[in-house]
Amino acid sequence: MVYRMIFENILHRPIRTLVSVLAVAIEVGMVMLVVGMTHGMLHENAQRVQGVGADIMVQPPGASLFFALTQAPMPIKIGDRLAEIPHVLAVAPVLFLFNAHGGINLIYGVDLPSFKRVSGGFAYLQGGPFAHPYDILVDDWYARANDIKVGQTLNLLNHEFRVSGIVEHGKGARLFIPLSTAQDLSGAHDKASIFFVKCTDPGYTHDAMNSIRQLLPKDEILSIKEYMSLMTSNDLPALNAFITAMIGVAVGIGFLVIFLSMYTTITERTREIGILKSLGAGKRYIIGVILREASLLSIIGVLAGYGGTWLTRRALLAAFPTLTVELTIHWALWAGLLAIGGSLLGAFYPAVRAARLDPVDSLAYE
Amino acid sequence: MGPIFLEATEDATKGPDRIGCMESIIATENLSKVYRVGKVEVPALRGVNFIVQEGEFVAVVGPSGCGKSTLLHVLGGLTRPSGGLVLVDGNDFTRMNDAERTKFRRHKIGFVFQRYNLLPTLTARHNIAIAQHIQGDEFNPHRFDSVAGMLGIKDQLDRKPYALSGGEQQRVAIARAVLCEPKLLLADEPTGNLDSENSQIVLNMMRILNRDFRQTIVMITHNPEAASVADRIVRMRDGRIVSD
Repeated sequence: MVYRMIFENILHRPIRTLVSVLAVAIEVGMVMLVVGMTHGMLHENAQRVQGVGADIMVQPPGASLFFALTQAPMPIKIGDRLAEIPHVLAVAPVLFLFNAHGGINLIYGVDLPSFKRVSGGFAYLQGGPFAHPYDILVDDWYARANDIKVGQTLNLLNHEFRVSGIVEHGKGARLFIPLSTAQDLSGAHDKASIFFVKCTDPGYTHDAMNSIRQLLPKDEILSIKEYMSLMTSNDLPALNAFITAMIGVAVGIGFLVIFLSMYTTITERTREIGILKSLGAGKRYIIGVILREASLLSIIGVLAGYGGTWLTRRALLAAFPTLTVELTIHWALWAGLLAIGGSLLGAFYPAVRAARLDPVDSLAYE
Repeated sequence: MGPIFLEATEDATKGPDRIGCMESIIATENLSKVYRVGKVEVPALRGVNFIVQEGEFVAVVGPSGCGKSTLLHVLGGLTRPSGGLVLVDGNDFTRMNDAERTKFRRHKIGFVFQRYNLLPTLTARHNIAIAQHIQGDEFNPHRFDSVAGMLGIKDQLDRKPYALSGGEQQRVAIARAVLCEPKLLLADEPTGNLDSENSQIVLNMMRILNRDFRQTIVMITHNPEAASVADRIVRMRDGRIVSD
């Protein structure tokens, strides 16, 4: 019976219902998409670095896990000394360039032969390796997103690059230029931002790292396994704070809309509450009716949010193929729980207020 | 009241005189109620002494503002008296808190209002059934059919209040009030919004409830014709009972 009353109330006020459901759906979508995009891009980026095939990364002191933020490149000669360390099979120096012209991209300046020894080489889907200093390789995701063909010219870093080949994605960056060209463009002659080190066997990684630490005590030396474990939002405090803030905003929106919706509903239905009280409905009954109505609205909103998130993800991936949106059951459940919890919290004060209404005043309410 | 409502019998407006052999269900002594409007105290009831026997049909009449509705609200446990004693079915309302009065009202009192006070989103059927739900009883279809049949609303049960006439709405309200067999039916101007034909129907229903099922009724009205249906007429003025 009480559910019929709630259901009829929801149908009786379609605009209020729609706004409330929409607010909860946006809340759920915001949580899932923000988390999905940050985690997705973080994981995808980490997987690409793992895809280089190295066992160890050597970076200058104070280097960031975000390669685009890495400054103060190291002398390229370090690569030769790293190659002499026992159990090191190959060393690939890479210089990072950050391009913000016509989009934001991290470009790897690579020495193709050494990069091939570490990574096993690029899989060319179209075209081939660099033939000229201002040749560029792009991965298939970037090519698809920007409709790029081999032989086409790209304007990056205020220079014209000719696309010499399209390679399979998953080897660190999406764009690759010759190391020497990267050094010229950045004025970092004979320098590299990172050395990817491959061991003769992954089992020697620990030994090799100890030897590298003795050689370069001040540099940042990480195994790829460590790097992968660090590339989560929990290990990136700023990112975690950003996600928490966005979730807070989303939950706040849901809370406020449900609060306002239920508050106005209580005012509008003051007389009905008086009727229920005259029939003997106690405070607990009234609070139960209001909270159950808020729960039903938020459950519909959560389901709409799941659907909306899935559709938005499809639209985002169609518009931005290089984007990764990682939707997980774990975060879907969290988003749902947060939305329902926020809604119940938002409905609680109006429910208590309704329960405290004086029955005589309520029955006289016009 | 008997468990099942049956068809109305002959002249429903004439009730039996059994007051002498009944027990009192309502007893007030020096009952007062004062409302506060800002810093001003407005007395609504000033020492009301009032007894209603079980099975009695009492009409309380008087001019607007004399305290009739306040008396009904106090007797129904909707508001707390400011002073005096109120015993309803042996329970002292002055000693009961809001939750206790609510519980008492749920099980012992039925209300009928001038403005019907049906829930606008529910059908007549669900408006009636919600009383049973609030009381916590299982839905009793046999009793429900009997009440609906007696009040002549069987064909209107699936309509919402906006699709019912005033008379039909008031009969639904009466059905809701008596479905759970309350000890006391309190009616606040039940014919105030009805034309004479529907007023007569509603009064007849109340008369039947009282006569055939010994339903105790306290009805507030300022309509002399409506009051004449009752066994006893109590007159109020300025918060006091002036004649009984």
